[in-house]
Amino acid sequence: MTVMRMAELVMEGVTKRFGATVAIADLTLTVGDGEFLVLLGPTGAGKTTTLRLVAGLEGPDVGRVLLAGRDVTPEPPAARDTTFVFQQYSLYPHLTVYDNLAFPLRSPARRVPEGKIRTRVLEIAQLLHIEDKLANRATQLSGGQMQRVAIGRALVRRPSIYLMDEPLSSLDAKLRAEMRVELKRIHRELGATILYVTHDQTEAMTMATHIGVLDQGRLVQIGSPREIYADPINTYVAMRLGSPAINLVPRRLYPNVEAPAAAETIGVRTEHVRIRKSANGGAVGRVKWIEHLGDQNHLHVTIADTDVVTLCDRDAGVVVGDAVDVELTAPLFFAANGERVRAN
Amino acid sequence: MMNALDPHAVLDKAVEATPAPLARRIRGLSDRAIAWLFIAPTIALLLAINIFPLLWTIRLSFTNFRANRPNATVAGVGIDNYVSVLTDPDVWAAMQATAHFLFWTILLQTMLGFTLAYLIDRRFRGHGFWTTVILIPMMLSPAVVGNFWAFLYQPQIGLFNYVVSFFSGIPPSSFEMIGSVKLAPWSIIIVDTWMWTPYVMLICLAGLRSIPNYIYEAAEVDRASRWRQFWSITLPMALPFIMLAVLFRGIENFKMFDMVNLLTSGGPGSTTELASITLKREAFEKWRTGYSSAFAIVLFVTVFGLANIYVKALNRVKNR
Repeated sequence: MTVMRMAELVMEGVTKRFGATVAIADLTLTVGDGEFLVLLGPTGAGKTTTLRLVAGLEGPDVGRVLLAGRDVTPEPPAARDTTFVFQQYSLYPHLTVYDNLAFPLRSPARRVPEGKIRTRVLEIAQLLHIEDKLANRATQLSGGQMQRVAIGRALVRRPSIYLMDEPLSSLDAKLRAEMRVELKRIHRELGATILYVTHDQTEAMTMATHIGVLDQGRLVQIGSPREIYADPINTYVAMRLGSPAINLVPRRLYPNVEAPAAAETIGVRTEHVRIRKSANGGAVGRVKWIEHLGDQNHLHVTIADTDVVTLCDRDAGVVVGDAVDVELTAPLFFAANGERVRAN
Repeated sequence: MMNALDPHAVLDKAVEATPAPLARRIRGLSDRAIAWLFIAPTIALLLAINIFPLLWTIRLSFTNFRANRPNATVAGVGIDNYVSVLTDPDVWAAMQATAHFLFWTILLQTMLGFTLAYLIDRRFRGHGFWTTVILIPMMLSPAVVGNFWAFLYQPQIGLFNYVVSFFSGIPPSSFEMIGSVKLAPWSIIIVDTWMWTPYVMLICLAGLRSIPNYIYEAAEVDRASRWRQFWSITLPMALPFIMLAVLFRGIENFKMFDMVNLLTSGGPGSTTELASITLKREAFEKWRTGYSSAFAIVLFVTVFGLANIYVKALNRVKNR
């Protein structure tokens, strides 16, 4: 029987400060073997710092980092079994694509024979469709090709964890969609453990097995994409996913909705807002404007002073200025401080 | 007030301010003609100061003209001057001295300059202060440097001999840097290295600073040791800058004159007589103007040819 290599990452109570700024505050996080964890958060939430702490490019002020059960906190990057895809490609500009891909394998400590390196590089190049670019210098590539080389350089090795820092952010929309599928495939085929950072919710929803939402260095919530989307623990998490963003409306505008006593805000996703042309005088809102997206329309409805966005079929027959009734089908309730209030 | 910033207003103003006849004349010109009008003064200066003397030198190099006898008849001598330059053992001795000087100054300055740049690039505490200190020699005039190193090299009172004797135990007056045939070539190499290593350091520093930090981070994650990072990233990426420094120093030192002339005047004998010093002797002490013109052209072609070959190599490295 072969011994499965456990590739589990554990961060225990990690805190990292840069001067007076707390980049990471008491972060505890586990990425299980074969998981694809996406860290989601706006700029400055500490996503990149988390990756750098795992890679060993930064050392934590407090806490421990464990890789495959081993405490690697004091170890330099080279001693840890990780690979890193940087946001800004960071290819070696004076080397060819081949040499860039071969670089991690040519570590003198590992002594991989050149024949084996060749096989591995060709394999990865084919996977990423850059086999015809191997002889090119890294600087002669387009942005998308460079990023694929950067990803390839991470894939030539089989580390316990792959770290990726917004690897798709500099690609155009079409290539980004392609690479999303590609990365997901790689994850499945290699059974790789991946810690991935992005502020793009589509990437998070489509690729992740788990999503962790960061806010100012704190891990707010972690769970499957479905859980994070359907069951957010506060308005911050709720706002991170969904496009258009979740509607947050004051509770008092919907006196008829049954809600827990502490609820101050009702959160409702666009697909959970039903609107109906008002037949009698009991209309609550008025259609302010309609965004045409091809297959669907986004309706912006004004209710008192707040706007609610909803999806609507093209042929619903609603036009700007119509008085409408609004029904919330799956409301979430939040307290005044933004925390979720559950009906019990 | 905002009108002053409006480009149309500025143009209108310029049109108003131009005298009517001149404005008419300029308006009749094409863009190309106006462009030529603008660069004409520069071209005229260049022709007068660079191109004309060069052509005149080429002309003189085929004659027996002597600048101290302006009224003597000048006769064409064909390529005789070139033949005598290229067969003159003194010229070859000067070329050898120049080559020796070039080789060692470039080697020492590149190695020291790069090492210093590498150390300064670590940004230790006070690295800014040390950079300034290191740059001081470069800011001095070569004439000043030549003169005060003549004092430093004094066997009895000079600081250089004293320091050497302090560390090695050799009596300070037992050797003469400038006076001895064996040491004199090294005396000028030491001074030039002292003076110009900072310059090489600056260029190398620019090269090292141009390597983004994330490249090193990527290499660290890729498990490259410091040693490997140096050989496979730092050195190749800084190489175009190092080569540029070598080119600049090479061209500069090929025509080295002032410092060496003041320090050793080519002596003792002709051990430190670099090509430019020989040239000056032939031209302004022996007044063999035709001959020295031919010599100057030979030097020019040599340095131009070498520099061209070198620049080609540099471009290859840069485009790697």
